[in-house]
Amino acid sequence: MIDFFGSLQGLGIETGTLLMFAMLLVLLVSGIPLAFVTLLVALIFALGWFGPMVVPLITSRVFSFVSSFVFVSVPMFVLMAAILDRSGIARDLFDAMKLVGGRLRGGVAIQTIIVAVILAAMSGIIGGEVVLLGLVALPQMLRLGYDKHLAIGVVCAGAALGPIDPPYIVKNISGLTAKVAVGDLFTASFVPGLMLAGFYVTYVLIRAYLNPALAPIPQGDPVSKAEKVRLLKGLFLPLLVVAGVLGSIYGGIASVTEASAVGVAGVLLSTVIRGEFTLQLLKGAALQTLQTVGMIVWIGIGASALVGVFNLMGGIKFVSALISGISDNPTLILLFMMLILFVLGMFLDWVGIALLTMPIFVPIITELGYDPVWFGVLFCMNMQVSFLSPPFGPAAFYLKSVAPPDISLATIFRSLLPFIAMQVLAVGLLLFFPGITGR
Amino acid sequence: MADTEERSHDKPDPGAIPEAGILGRWIDKTGLVFAFGIVLSMLILLNEVVLRYVFNAPTIWAHETTIFLCGAAFLYGGLYCSARDRHIRVVLIYDALPDGARRILDIVISVICMLSSGVFAWAAWLMVQRAAFRPDGSFRLERSGSAWDPVYPGLIKVFLLIVLAVMAVQFLILAVNYARGRK
Repeated sequence: MIDFFGSLQGLGIETGTLLMFAMLLVLLVSGIPLAFVTLLVALIFALGWFGPMVVPLITSRVFSFVSSFVFVSVPMFVLMAAILDRSGIARDLFDAMKLVGGRLRGGVAIQTIIVAVILAAMSGIIGGEVVLLGLVALPQMLRLGYDKHLAIGVVCAGAALGPIDPPYIVKNISGLTAKVAVGDLFTASFVPGLMLAGFYVTYVLIRAYLNPALAPIPQGDPVSKAEKVRLLKGLFLPLLVVAGVLGSIYGGIASVTEASAVGVAGVLLSTVIRGEFTLQLLKGAALQTLQTVGMIVWIGIGASALVGVFNLMGGIKFVSALISGISDNPTLILLFMMLILFVLGMFLDWVGIALLTMPIFVPIITELGYDPVWFGVLFCMNMQVSFLSPPFGPAAFYLKSVAPPDISLATIFRSLLPFIAMQVLAVGLLLFFPGITGR
Repeated sequence: MADTEERSHDKPDPGAIPEAGILGRWIDKTGLVFAFGIVLSMLILLNEVVLRYVFNAPTIWAHETTIFLCGAAFLYGGLYCSARDRHIRVVLIYDALPDGARRILDIVISVICMLSSGVFAWAAWLMVQRAAFRPDGSFRLERSGSAWDPVYPGLIKVFLLIVLAVMAVQFLILAVNYARGRK
C-alpha cells in the first residue's frame, strides 16, 4: 500500500490524464453513480500521485463546497418547483393560455412554449416540466389532431428551455467561477432564452401555415366567463411572485438566495390562498427537495474533489495548454470547446459537465479575451442540446415515462431533430454575435 | 385534510429500496428532519429579508445558520439518495443486461461505492482531527471566526464524517443483500 503512494507520478501528466479519463469512463458506463465514480478516482489519484498528505486538501474543498451562501439558493429553487409541481398552478396556467392562444393556427403548441418559458422562469427543473407538459399539453394537442412529431418536439424543447431561462443556470456555474456575478448571468441569458423560444414559435407557425393539417384549429365552445375569472384569480399571485423574484434579481435589489427564499414563500402563500395547501403537500415537497439537492450536490462534491486533485497534478494547466494549442484562431478553440461539451452532453448530466469543465474552460476563455459571462450563457445554450440529443437525452426519457404507450422512444428522438437543429443554430448565433447577451 | 380531489401527485412514496435493510428505512425516515431544515432556512431567510429591508435591522446569525442548515441537508441528501438508489448514474449497459448479470453488477457497484465512501470517510477523519481537537488532544470545535463565531464549521465537518461512515455501512448492507438475492 505504501508503495502505491506517489507511484503514479512517474507516469507523467500526459499518461496520468489519459489514465484518469479512461478510469472515469469505464467506471461510469458500468452503472456506478457519478458522484462515487468521481470521488473514487479523485482519491486514487490523490493517494497515487501525491500520498496521504494531500487528502485533507480534498476534504476541505468539499467542505467549502457545501458551505457557500450562493448554494443555498439551490434548495430554495428546487423547493419552489416542488411546491408548484404539487399545486394546480401550472395546470391553470396552461388553461389560462387558451384564452390567449385562442384561434391561432398552431395555437396550442405556441401556448405550450409560452407556458414552458414561464415555468422555466419559476423553477427550471427539466424533469418536472417535461412530465407536466407531457401530461397536460401533449394529450390536448394529440386530441386536437396535431402532428405527433410537432407536438412531442414542442413539449421536450419547451421544457429544455429551463436552464437558459433564469434561475437554474446560476447555481453551478456561478458557484464555481466565482468571478462571475450571478445577476450578470441572469441578465445576459434573458434575451438568448427568448430568442430560442422565438425560434420555436416561428417554426411552429411556419409549419402550421404551410401545412394546415399539422395543426388543426380547435373547434368548440368558448371558455365560460366564470371559468375565465377563476383562472385569472388563481394565477394572479403566482405570476406576481415570478415577476417579483425575477425583478428583484434583475434589478439588483436582493441577492439571488434571498430572492429565491421570498419566491418559495410567495408560491407557498399562493397555494394557501388557492386552498391547496396541506401539510402533506409541504412535507412531500420538502422531501423531494432533499432528494434532488442530494443528487445535485453530491455530484458537485465528487466533481469538486476530482477537479481539485487534477489541478494539483498540474492537469488543468496541461489540458488548457492542449486546448489552446490546437489553433491560433480563438474561434476554432471555442468551437472545439463546444464540441467537447456536446460530446460530454451525450453521456453526462449537465451539472456534472459544468462542474468538471468550467474550471478548465473559463481561464482559457478569459485568457483569449472573451467575456466569461457570455461563455456561461453559451454553455447553457449548448447544454440544452444535451437534454434532447440521443442516445441519452433525458427530456426524451422523461416524456416517454408519461406519453401514451404507442409513442416510442425512436419517435420522440425523431421529433426532436428539428428542435435540436434550432438549438444548434442558436448556439452558433450566440457564438458569432455575442451582442445578443447584451454585453 | 378535507380536499382529496385531484391529488394525482400524491403517489405513495417509494421510500428506501428493500435491499437497504433496516438502516435504509431509518435513513429514509430521518430525512424528514433535514427536509424540515430546508423549510426552516427558507423561513430564516424570509425573516432576515423583512428585518433588513423593512426594519433595517439585519441579524448576525441568519446567513451562517441557513448555510449550516442547508449544508447539513446537502450532505444528508447524499445518504438519503443512497438508501433510495436515486443517485444519478449511466444505466445504458446496466439496463441491457439479463437479471443474473445485473445482480452481480449490483453487488460490484455497491462494493465500489462502499470503498469510495469508506476511504473518503477516512479522509474526513483526518480533517475532523484538526477541526474538533486542539493540538494537545482536548476537544474544541472549529469556529467560523465571524462576529457571531458559531461552531458550525466544526459541526459540518464532523457531520461529513458521520454521513460518509454511515454511507459506507449502507453500501455494505446493500452489497450483502444483493448477494443474498433478497428482494
